[in-house]
Amino acid sequence: MIQRKPLVLGDKSLHQVTEDIVAPVERWPSKGWVGLFLGAKTLFIFYITCIGIVVSVGMGLLGVSHPVGWGTMIITFVFWIGIGHAGTLISAILFLFRQKWRTSVARTAEAMTVFAVMTAGIFPLIHTGRPWLDFWLFPYPNQRGPLWVNFRSPLLWDVFAVSTYATVSMVFWYIGMVPDFATLRDRSKNKIRYLVYGALSLGWRGTARNWSHYEMLYLILAGLSTPLVLSVHTIVSFDFAVSGLPGWHATIFPPYFVAGAIFSGFGMVVTLMTLVRIGFPEFKNYITIDHMEVMNKIIMATGLMVGYAYGSEFFVAWYSGNPYEQYVFINRAMGPYAWAYWTMIVCNVVIPQLFWVRNFRRSIPVMFVISIFVNIGMWFERFVITVTSLHRDYLPSNWGMYNWTFFDSAILLGSFGMFLTLFLLYLRVFPAISIAEIKPVLGVGKEGAHHG
Amino acid sequence: MSDNHSSSPDQENLNSTYWRSLDELSEKVSPSANASAEVKKVADAEFTQGSLERRDFLKLMGASVALATTSCIRRPVQKIIPYNKQPEEITFAVPNFYTSTYLDGIEPLGLLVKTREGRPLKVDGNPEHPMNQGGLSAKAQAHILSLYDPERMKGPVKNLLNKTRSNFDTVSTSWEDADKAITAQLKKGNVAILTGPVLSPTTQMLINDFCQGFKAKHYAWSPLSIAHLVEAQKVSYGTATLPQYHIEKAQVIVSVDADFLGTYLKPTTFAKQFAVGRRNYKKMNRLISFDSQYSLTGANSDLRYKIKPSEGASVILGLAYEIVVRGAKSSYAANAQVKSYLGNYANVAQEIGVSPELFSRVAQDLWNAKGESLVLVGDTQSDVSFEAQVAANFLNSVLENEGKTIVAGVHSGTASSYGSPSEILQLLADLNAGKISTLVVHGVNPLYTLPESLNAKDAFKKVELLISTADRQDETATLAHYILPDNHVLESWNDLDFGNGVVSLQQPTIRPLYETRSIHLSLMTWAYLGDRGPKRLTTFETYYDYLRNAWKEELYPKLGKGQGFDDFWDEALQKGFVGTPKESSGRSLKLDSLKAGSPAKAVKGLQLHLYPTVQMGDGSLSNVAWLQELPDPVTKIVWDNYASISLKLSETLKVKEGQMVQLKVGSATLEVPVHIQPGLHSEVVALGLGYGRTHAGKVGNGIGFNSYKLAQASKSDKNQFLQLSGISVEVIPTSNFYELASTQSHHVLDSKNDGKRKIVVEATLKEFEENPAANNHKHKIFSIWEGHEYKGHKWAMTVDLNTCTGCSACVIACQSENNIPVVGKKYVLQGREMHWIRVDRYFIGDAETAEAVFQPLMCQQCDNAPCETVCPVLATVHNSEGLNDMVYNRCVGTRYCSNNCPYKVRRFNWFNLTGNIEKPLNLALNPEVTVRSRGVMEKCTFCVHKIKAGKNKAKLEKRDLVDGEIKTSCQSSCPTGAIVFGDLNNPESAVSKIYKEDPRNYALLEEFHAAPTVRYLTKIRNNHEEHRPQSEITHHKKGGHA
Repeated sequence: MIQRKPLVLGDKSLHQVTEDIVAPVERWPSKGWVGLFLGAKTLFIFYITCIGIVVSVGMGLLGVSHPVGWGTMIITFVFWIGIGHAGTLISAILFLFRQKWRTSVARTAEAMTVFAVMTAGIFPLIHTGRPWLDFWLFPYPNQRGPLWVNFRSPLLWDVFAVSTYATVSMVFWYIGMVPDFATLRDRSKNKIRYLVYGALSLGWRGTARNWSHYEMLYLILAGLSTPLVLSVHTIVSFDFAVSGLPGWHATIFPPYFVAGAIFSGFGMVVTLMTLVRIGFPEFKNYITIDHMEVMNKIIMATGLMVGYAYGSEFFVAWYSGNPYEQYVFINRAMGPYAWAYWTMIVCNVVIPQLFWVRNFRRSIPVMFVISIFVNIGMWFERFVITVTSLHRDYLPSNWGMYNWTFFDSAILLGSFGMFLTLFLLYLRVFPAISIAEIKPVLGVGKEGAHHG
Repeated sequence: MSDNHSSSPDQENLNSTYWRSLDELSEKVSPSANASAEVKKVADAEFTQGSLERRDFLKLMGASVALATTSCIRRPVQKIIPYNKQPEEITFAVPNFYTSTYLDGIEPLGLLVKTREGRPLKVDGNPEHPMNQGGLSAKAQAHILSLYDPERMKGPVKNLLNKTRSNFDTVSTSWEDADKAITAQLKKGNVAILTGPVLSPTTQMLINDFCQGFKAKHYAWSPLSIAHLVEAQKVSYGTATLPQYHIEKAQVIVSVDADFLGTYLKPTTFAKQFAVGRRNYKKMNRLISFDSQYSLTGANSDLRYKIKPSEGASVILGLAYEIVVRGAKSSYAANAQVKSYLGNYANVAQEIGVSPELFSRVAQDLWNAKGESLVLVGDTQSDVSFEAQVAANFLNSVLENEGKTIVAGVHSGTASSYGSPSEILQLLADLNAGKISTLVVHGVNPLYTLPESLNAKDAFKKVELLISTADRQDETATLAHYILPDNHVLESWNDLDFGNGVVSLQQPTIRPLYETRSIHLSLMTWAYLGDRGPKRLTTFETYYDYLRNAWKEELYPKLGKGQGFDDFWDEALQKGFVGTPKESSGRSLKLDSLKAGSPAKAVKGLQLHLYPTVQMGDGSLSNVAWLQELPDPVTKIVWDNYASISLKLSETLKVKEGQMVQLKVGSATLEVPVHIQPGLHSEVVALGLGYGRTHAGKVGNGIGFNSYKLAQASKSDKNQFLQLSGISVEVIPTSNFYELASTQSHHVLDSKNDGKRKIVVEATLKEFEENPAANNHKHKIFSIWEGHEYKGHKWAMTVDLNTCTGCSACVIACQSENNIPVVGKKYVLQGREMHWIRVDRYFIGDAETAEAVFQPLMCQQCDNAPCETVCPVLATVHNSEGLNDMVYNRCVGTRYCSNNCPYKVRRFNWFNLTGNIEKPLNLALNPEVTVRSRGVMEKCTFCVHKIKAGKNKAKLEKRDLVDGEIKTSCQSSCPTGAIVFGDLNNPESAVSKIYKEDPRNYALLEEFHAAPTVRYLTKIRNNHEEHRPQSEITHHKKGGHA
């Protein structure tokens, strides 16, 4: 019988597992963490300032123009929403498929999802011309008739999709942490900790009834989240696919966007996990090279799917005989934004092919660099879709360019400030790996252990 | 104004009808009267007499609004007059219309001025007027903005000139003081008046009276002179005149550098006439142009040949040779003298690089249409302009056009009224000789428009007293001792002669906003104070009285139809004109006139061609932001002028688009950016005039480059003039680059990528005759949705691409009507201009022979509107009459609608563009149209407020709407009537007939199936014989998936 590889290295006892995982939460922050946090926080404050300026002066500060009505904000919105997908995929779909390796990365991936969706969620609100009226995007009882929203508009579907996704993934994430909160509560040495974690743990006692209910709820939430993995980005893709613009109006968009989202999500998970391994060396036993390798395989697979989609778009443009569609794709590859298109192709299709080599899949520096490229490539994918389709459409008299400004750079960079600030805080206050879920899989790959 | 003139407002005027009371407003009220006196006067005198001055009325309105909207505890002390005692003729929120006239360059135009609550809001063409018949040029429409220009002088000022006259500080003065000082100086003699073209017979009379009184000399001059044309008429036919052209009667029109559809003579009237021949499909006219720049006329011609400015005369004589000598046609064929003269022009075609076969075909066409053809030559102020004019007169006589398509003008004044460059040169000579001690400058700006080589500044400094009537301290006024601002055109009385027996009145539509005074009254006041001149000059208290008297004495006896003078006058004001267009009989050509013209030697090397642009003219309106942001019809560049050169020349010079080059003419140099223009001769550098002002105001200062600097005082002694065209120039590239803001990329539709796009459908006349739907390929489209139901009206529009000349008058009309903001060059560069209607221009063919087509594009008001479905908040919705309503206050600004619009006609308020409108520019805003705030999408509404007003009117009168009753703004401004608007549910309406019956109609991007309710009509070009294969490129592939 082939022996499975152990999911946790270092021959840990149950107590050691708890000690290892709660260590970052219970000790004083390291200098590295403080440094990173100050940087991220500064960037976050800068981000808030820039948003404030854009909201008070006008969207014209960004590069959006006629005919390119959408720009950095929508691109970055789709980018962050995409990032969020890996979390739910890992925690929900892989849970349902009983993929045990997911346990060590699920918590952090889910946290990443929540923060990415929060980061993304700001963009549709601030990209409007009059953000102070954004509440009109929600159907709420009013005295104007009542005047409802336009249920035919994909932007409205977006509002529902993103808010549902944010809610469900947050609940899912939180429920998963309840037993661990109880552990933290029980270990707490001062009153404040006790009270805070006590409240967060919702009175968890670890009884059989607790566990029974918990497992059932977790399964149900996993079931609820699973379709969301597919639906959210499908609906985000409808923003483009349902419109009539050549380069947007394509039936391939939903699967293409979902594959792209998972691709970018795993890219981001790998980026963050390599950093976590560096920042908290004790986690190396839980987030093993084997785990990273599995994720790299997924990156490679979804990268190929995305590459297939790119090719398919060109084929359909040619096969459709539609001159407008054909021109958009010729223009993508050869027009003024060809540099963006080829950046996207190199980052998303060419570079992940390095993972065919086993040593690269298992090398932390290599996978870190590749995952960064994947992130860059996926941002450019959204740039290419949004900007190159809009800038030259039906009537050549309309054609124009996107006028990249300081504020475009500021908003893009600033959003990382927000994300990293939240993520770093998370590492400090929540157990980054699920203690309760790690313990049952300790025995995997060990001689004579039964499968837990 | 002297106190005498303002003391007793005469009773006749106070009790008279509206416009007559305006006389009193504009001329009689002492500007120094303080506000309380005015209020008292209003309350005491005029209100009780059933008449109210508009400005006072505005004040009262303001007070009552303030009272109504503020919850004040203390009642105002001032007496408030309730609106229920409203003045006659003014109803709140109901516009009044007044006829007037405007002189655009030298084209007089009949106006219909819309006023509301006493302020002029919008200028339209007077539809009843026999000349422009409703159409109006962009400049004439935009001039309303100059009325509200915040930088206008508020009253008379005195310059604090130091010895070297380098100090520009001014101090305000009173009219009385200024008048006193000026009259004293005038009495010393040596007086001169410099004006622009004087087309007003009464102004001319007044100036003559003044000159008689003070022994003054009158110099008339315009930088865009037509002196060559007038002079050539004299040489050829004996009388100096501006001939009348009947382009509508011409079958074949040859234009040699005559941009008669854009800037030459009377473009608005000509466009109207030209469209008549374009619409006559049974016998469509043919326009052949020989073009030195890429003019609007060249863009509209069936055949366009690029030439150099110096070749103008040879082209005409070459054509004459083809007809008279080679073809041995016409009555001159036997004339040996003519034959030998024309013998020099046997090889013109080769010389100008046109295929001899095509060239002789042009001549053939002309001859075949003899008596129904027309040869037009532009007065481009080149070395050969005069010769070309003489040659054209000869050729028109050869073609027996005289008396048919071209007849003598009927002027009340003299031809010198059009102004001549010899007069300004004479003035400078007189100034330098010290012969002039007092100079009044009115309506021209010589220190801006004269080249530096003439040292005009030094000459003007020699005058003891220089008086300027400019409405601001312009380039010339910086040297003036007194700046006595003239009233704005919309504030003053005057008349204009249309040169064909029609005379129109210009009536004020608002009381002067400031303490300004018309030049006429100034001259009258000085004559009165100095007690000089004929009796009529000194007895009348106002120019209005003078004008009335002049009409009573001069025009009424001639044109009165038995009615009393008052009726005659009232009718003239109501209709906007008196007299009917008169024809004079044909004249006979003096054959020896040909000798007067012997073309100068061809200029070697590159030739500079300075031309007035459609939007800026001579540059006098350069502080009008609408015009600065109006894209040049051909290049689509805004806020600049630039040296247009051909692709070939750019390759020779190794310069790129936007690169700065130094133009060197003699000792004058100017650095300008390069624009690479398709279809130019490779030895021509074309540069627009009217830019580079230094004292125009905040908008116009420093915009573009002053190309007048490069004009040359002609050395030839036979006719003195300032050469603007055909100047030998040296082009020295520099390493600097400059950004030119264009509203449309310089894109030539090329066969590879865009050929399959059916955007502008074209057919040749022959194709059209064989199949009226030629090249208009319809797709078979089915829908699973049955669509909207329109029970009442269903508004629709058609745009005839065959008669659209691309003149862009509609753009300004829309801007004025719909409160469309101007964004400035910086934001145009970012694609953020706000025009609701734009005129797309496409070039077809290669860079050498590029043909142009124009396509006005406004919101297409689609039935299956892509914008409507994607708006998340229902801010853009379909209404029951087929319009896409834009609900500004519901819009949150997602811009999804704009992204999803295949026509990209929506405009977004990227910034708060309307929040800081400087007073009194806010008065130019149309109260019927919402002023949009930041973050809101906007677009063409089909002038929904006009639709509403029209429907309400019909409803109140208990009748059905009449077709054509509601006109959109673009439609009413269009000189050629290319735009038709109406109700599709009315089977008798013009628009539904075009929909049903005109096979040329097509929907733009029909296959997208947005089902637009705007239909375009195929452009027909009368050039099948010369059919160039390129023209097929844009045509949709025939026999496709029908």
